[in-house]
Amino acid sequence: MNIQFKKGVLELCVLVVLCRKDFYGYELVQTISRNIDIAEGTVYPLLRRLMKEGYFTTYIQESAEGPARKYYQITEKGKEYQKVLLDEWRRFVSGVNTLIGKEAAA
Amino acid sequence: MTRENFLSDLKRALGGMTDQERRDVMYDYEEHFRMGAAEGKSEEEIARSLGNPRMLGKSYAIDVLLEEPKGGGGVTATSVLRALFASISLTFFNVIFVLGPFLGLVGGMIGLWAAAASLPLAGLGVLLSPVAAAIVPQYFSLAGMNPAVLFFAGAGVTGLGVLAVLGMWKLSQLFVKMTAAYVRFNARIVTRRK
Repeated sequence: MNIQFKKGVLELCVLVVLCRKDFYGYELVQTISRNIDIAEGTVYPLLRRLMKEGYFTTYIQESAEGPARKYYQITEKGKEYQKVLLDEWRRFVSGVNTLIGKEAAA
Repeated sequence: MTRENFLSDLKRALGGMTDQERRDVMYDYEEHFRMGAAEGKSEEEIARSLGNPRMLGKSYAIDVLLEEPKGGGGVTATSVLRALFASISLTFFNVIFVLGPFLGLVGGMIGLWAAAASLPLAGLGVLLSPVAAAIVPQYFSLAGMNPAVLFFAGAGVTGLGVLAVLGMWKLSQLFVKMTAAYVRFNARIVTRRK
């Protein structure tokens, strides 16, 4: 699939996933890459950028197994942005589906 | 690629960041390697699924350039100038290491084409010289040379020239194909390398 397209959708996926619960980096990357075929490393620059823009914050928490982990937590601003993106995505998908439906019927 | 190679390539590519920011970025990838290893994955495997460290570093560098400076002071003339210089240095790198060799190769190709194309032209000239001498002897003299020798020498050089041009044609096709492959390689930023 087109690279730029994937990158844009990736932003939505990260925000949607983080709306459910807090994730630590590795866990988040694995959750995304299990479902979408991307280079796993590209999620980290995205996380950094979204954090700089104030869509989520990070905190460090000790873990039972091994060293402390960096967790990502969504902010109110992030939740609002997620709603906007999700809305855009749904409109886009329904538009595409309508076109595909017409194509198949023709 | 080993963990060591990946991390050092990434670190080198993280230009324009403060030491603190660079440490933060490196920490994410170090943690990724650590957790991957805990799941029993090999270093090679983890590095491959992460992608190209140089490209990852570049995407951080671009983000840094597009960010507003700290302290909420907005974009200042100094910061714009600094971003400009940084992007020029990135461009400069591309000019030296990508465009330079590319232009050199293009120049080489043009030179080879000129050499190849001149051979059949010279051959035809020699081949036709007995004819020219027969038609317009007042303008053209063979200077006592045997017309048959000139004819066969001309035919030989022409044949050689045609082969050279065909060879150049093949070489040009290869050149275009390799350039395209290199551009594609550069563009593979997000797709996983399999």
